[in-house]
Amino acid sequence: MDAAAPRPKENQGEPLPRIDARLKVTGQAHYPADLPTANIAYGALATGTIARGKVTKLHLDDAREVPGLLDIVTYGAMDKVDKPKFGNVGATSIAPLHDRTIFHDGQIIALAVAETFEAAEEAAQLIRADYEEETPSASFDSPGTKTIPAAGKSPLFKEDVKAGDFDAAYASAAVKIDARYSTPTQHHNPIELFSTTAYWQGDQLIVHEPSQNVTGWKVELARQLRIDPANVRIVSPFIGGAFGSKGPMTPRTAIVAVAARRLGRPVRCVTSRMQAFGTQTYRAETRHRIRIGAGKDGRITAFAHEGWEVTSRPDAYVVGGTSATGRMYDYGSVLTHVSLVQADRNTPGYMRSPPETPYVYALENAMDEMAVALGMDPVEFRRINEPKKEPIGKKPFSSRSLIQCYDQAAEAFGWAKREAKVGAMRDGDWLVGMGCATAIYPTAVAPCAARVRLTADGDVRVQCGSHEIGTGVRTVAGQMASERLGVGIDRVSVEMGDSALPPAPVSGGSISTASVCSVVLKACDAIRTKLYAAATAESGPLAGSHNEELDLADGKIVAKGGASARVEDILKTMQVGAIEEYAEFAPKGAPPEALKKLYSGMPEFHGGEQDEDAVKYAFGAEFVEVRINRYTKEIRVPRLVGAFAAGRIMNTRTARSQLMGGMIWGIGQALHEATEVDRHYARYVNRDLQDYLVPVNADVKDLQVILVPEVDHAVNPAGVKGLGELGNVGTAAAVASAVYHATGKRIRDLPIRIEQLLV
Amino acid sequence: MSQPTVLPRHGLSRRSFMAGTVSAAAAAPLLASAAQAEAPTASQSKLRQPVVTSLRINKQVYELSLDTRTSLLDALRDHAGLTGTKKGCDHGQCGACTVLVDGKRVLSCLSFAVMNEGKDITTIEGLASSDGKLHPMQQAFIDHDAFQCGYCTPGQILSAIGCVNEGHAGSEYDIREYMSGNICRCAAYPNIVAAVLQARDETKGA
Amino acid sequence: MRPFVYEQPTDISAAVAIASSFTSRDDQPTRANAQFIAGGTNLADYMKLGVAEPARLLDLNRLKDPSLRQIRVTDDGIRFGALVRMGEAADHRDVKQRYPVIADSLRLAASGQIRNMASLAGNVLQRTRCEYFRETSWHCNKRAPGSGCAAMEGFNRQHAVLGTSDACIATYHGDFAQALIALDAVIHAEGSRGTRKIPFAMLHRQPGETPHMETDLAADEIISAIEVPAMPWARRSLYLKIRDRESYAFALASAAVALDLDGETVREARIALGGVATVPWRARAAEQSLQGKRLDDASAGAAADAAFAQAQPRKHNAFKIELGKRTLVRALLETRNMKV
Repeated sequence: MDAAAPRPKENQGEPLPRIDARLKVTGQAHYPADLPTANIAYGALATGTIARGKVTKLHLDDAREVPGLLDIVTYGAMDKVDKPKFGNVGATSIAPLHDRTIFHDGQIIALAVAETFEAAEEAAQLIRADYEEETPSASFDSPGTKTIPAAGKSPLFKEDVKAGDFDAAYASAAVKIDARYSTPTQHHNPIELFSTTAYWQGDQLIVHEPSQNVTGWKVELARQLRIDPANVRIVSPFIGGAFGSKGPMTPRTAIVAVAARRLGRPVRCVTSRMQAFGTQTYRAETRHRIRIGAGKDGRITAFAHEGWEVTSRPDAYVVGGTSATGRMYDYGSVLTHVSLVQADRNTPGYMRSPPETPYVYALENAMDEMAVALGMDPVEFRRINEPKKEPIGKKPFSSRSLIQCYDQAAEAFGWAKREAKVGAMRDGDWLVGMGCATAIYPTAVAPCAARVRLTADGDVRVQCGSHEIGTGVRTVAGQMASERLGVGIDRVSVEMGDSALPPAPVSGGSISTASVCSVVLKACDAIRTKLYAAATAESGPLAGSHNEELDLADGKIVAKGGASARVEDILKTMQVGAIEEYAEFAPKGAPPEALKKLYSGMPEFHGGEQDEDAVKYAFGAEFVEVRINRYTKEIRVPRLVGAFAAGRIMNTRTARSQLMGGMIWGIGQALHEATEVDRHYARYVNRDLQDYLVPVNADVKDLQVILVPEVDHAVNPAGVKGLGELGNVGTAAAVASAVYHATGKRIRDLPIRIEQLLV
Repeated sequence: MSQPTVLPRHGLSRRSFMAGTVSAAAAAPLLASAAQAEAPTASQSKLRQPVVTSLRINKQVYELSLDTRTSLLDALRDHAGLTGTKKGCDHGQCGACTVLVDGKRVLSCLSFAVMNEGKDITTIEGLASSDGKLHPMQQAFIDHDAFQCGYCTPGQILSAIGCVNEGHAGSEYDIREYMSGNICRCAAYPNIVAAVLQARDETKGA
Repeated sequence: MRPFVYEQPTDISAAVAIASSFTSRDDQPTRANAQFIAGGTNLADYMKLGVAEPARLLDLNRLKDPSLRQIRVTDDGIRFGALVRMGEAADHRDVKQRYPVIADSLRLAASGQIRNMASLAGNVLQRTRCEYFRETSWHCNKRAPGSGCAAMEGFNRQHAVLGTSDACIATYHGDFAQALIALDAVIHAEGSRGTRKIPFAMLHRQPGETPHMETDLAADEIISAIEVPAMPWARRSLYLKIRDRESYAFALASAAVALDLDGETVREARIALGGVATVPWRARAAEQSLQGKRLDDASAGAAADAAFAQAQPRKHNAFKIELGKRTLVRALLETRNMKV
């Protein structure tokens, strides 16, 4: 059996190969920086080298002497352009060329534009700045940071959740822990570099840039440039990895657009790997204090989760994962509090499972500590505390298959063979440890539009302004159309990644498959309705049949009794060559203005904890085996098993791949990934893939993904829960648990490294 | 806090260095796309003068007029129009730019194009046969879903072919180790290993 | 990147002559106007970063002398032509059989692609990967003499604990060099002042007060070959590399070990350490402590203690002392247990 294509179980779709696979293996998938553009000029960024202060003087003379230099866009050039805004669409309010204030390391100070890439780079490297420097605050514990409560600072984090009387319950608990955890700064580092190519055709601005939100960017870029959004087009047909980094638009986009306008020719700026650390967003470092109290029977009576997150001075970016951790188990009482620590840093942003990766790591590591304190099997401990309703709002879960996930993963992993005693398992010079943790991610969905056309020849075209960032959304959208319109997948083409297409929400928060499939379903059903109406009309070939007795298959409308009519013939009778339907989908319970917001680039998410009827989450259970050399303490993760339940699985192949990738991200979270911030200068040190380590092929050996069948009609019409971010939640805690099991050392600060095990 | 912005460079200052060596004529914009008849060859090159470089890419000869600083990667992408080869880090840390030079896998970002004069270069665009039949490694990558976003994929496929031809695909362990120079941030690694195993025998000598 | 003139000399004497005419006697090779390039994996990287700024690049890949590309194995030893690529040497049957520590050190370095590109001579001359060196806006005495060292008080987890000075703590990140220094390799160099042999241990300079002076080579000198003598300990040898991830990462600590054993008693030991020192690091005190001793956990531990007796930790790299010791102990025991 081919592991890449799991056989579908109940409520799971066929593991069709990706419909864009051939393009991707032949080099014909054009990412934004690949799109042919005539007469292009090259841009290179010059970035600042201090983290706090002011630019007092820019030295441009050396750069201007570089042969081939065309322009330097710097202070003054953006005066007739509005500043970027921080929020759903914009990465930061820091307007680097509007203002000489330096807020963080690596801030853009100029864009050099030249005839060649080499000349642009040379010129950018020659641009120097004089600064009036101030002592920057790098991170937690740095003098000069300011700590503020997070609740209410962001529309996405309204309040600190709580339930019952934590203090009393904790005080009287028979068994309790009180522990602190931390997670490091991390950068997404998609392999595709960040780039902007901009050109003007009269009043029309075309931007080629990898984006997870073409509609939002169109509107925001138009606002900054003070032009009509109808005159802006963002083109991003393929995206070379995103993980949240290409969700918010950064100030560079408008700068390059201005450069192209000044020059009257296309400008392409590919940000270097190093510069991306300061010009894009990142996952900020977090700290956590967790207190859990339980009875001797293992029932939790008290849970407190306090979190601290670093953000920039001007922007209150908050992830606030207590919303999920506070609802994870049947706690009895819950107390949470999230604080922001403002430092001289660029504004953080979404990175794969933004709240859950750090917060659930802390919770699940604490759960393992608690299981140890109780002398209880960690799986059993979670089973005992499985809730019927979530503890904050006492709402039911729309579906929750966590225990099934634990059971199936434990079975496949061979958890029963684990010796509970710490340090008991060995293989030669290698200490063996096994651990597990829960994965959780909110199931959300957002308004979305799509256009679907079925021709008499049986060709289907789906158009939707969503984004193929590697998730397979192009494939599953095509698959949905193929199923509903009864044509082979080879007859379906799917266009995405262009703001000229019907608008879709940001491809983040694991909402794309649910949102896109729900609207494609709707458009296809509208096509079916038209076809059926024609087929069942009095003069039609299937007169007398009711719609619910009909299906579309192999280019035919098939009635229950076996009678059928060719779609081609129905279209003939309708006197049309094709049926095209434009559909809009709004989640159940969405306010009347929800669709209007979709067109303005700011559709709201629904689901998760927000709905009245139920809370909506996808769950999983992950088991890992670690091996640690008894001399040198290097840590390897040779075996992982994850079982996940996420409602309807559109395509078991792409779903498995995403979950697998997420789990490997989890290895990176646990052992490798950390951006180091120089404490004195508040500057990023390891700004490259040489020292910002991510897992490589040799780090992954045996990895198994189990797709646990689950049906959930409450989440959205497609019945789909997102899973792009589920896989890497929990993994790091499972690794930490396994490291404890192998060594008896409880590591609470990520990443777990050799030095923590040597002492 | 007295971290200077840019430290003094050694020897002559940049400005005096350039003033002394660049003639007025050389300051004209470089023509990147077309070979110039008067452009010197490598052995006669002068500072800032383009050098005509002949590269045999996917069995087709390209005469390119290049800045000596142009990497093989940028020559392929910006001058030969072959954008299948990807820039992921530009510093030899990710493997996305892997191509075959005289049959061996190398990083095109760390090679100046002029150094490849007369060499045989194979990029992702050169693997499928003219009738559209995919190279067995390309097919195997599709069969095993050995990518997600697809950005590192051209480099992975060329690296995989190189890995097989070097004799380093004998076991799963070897494949994992010898494919570790190609970072896949989507982390399709197990599927990449499966793909290499599938295509291994057909690739040898292909 | 600064623009450069590109030249392709076809023999070493021509290459040396060009280099001589564009450099002066006192130029450091890494700071000279004319510099040599072979694989380019280190130099092209540093040129892009603005760390290396040659105005003239002399491509050695067109040198005609075939011996530059050959590996010759005789009973006296092994001779690697300077332009042999890392991958070729790593895969060479005799190297793997007779000098496993060399094959290991190459196989565990970098990636398959880089090993196909990088020449052996270029590999041993690779410059530190210290991030404060790589980014030109930091204070760095190695890159900009006298400017200070930001790594001392900065993030210095990767940095060296051996051979450091008040001016520089940058690690020498290479692997192959550890095998060479352990096996008493000799460098053949050709320059305007003739040809000479340099014991490998004399090739790299500890930073001292002048960290910008990295090697003993003149700016117009070219390494033509690397010779390793045949010695009884070469066959029982290995390279152990400890790193954060399984592959494609620099050593946090590594050990090149070669042993001549009489039963379990050490006749001769050859030990070099990587990832922990500013230059390829021969651990002679450790070697001496083992001589004539039975090799077991205790004697290996004593050797490791001797190897790190002079170590100077910084804030984030203190663990390298303990890790380096354990790496050496493990390497010694694994070498002892090799079936030869």
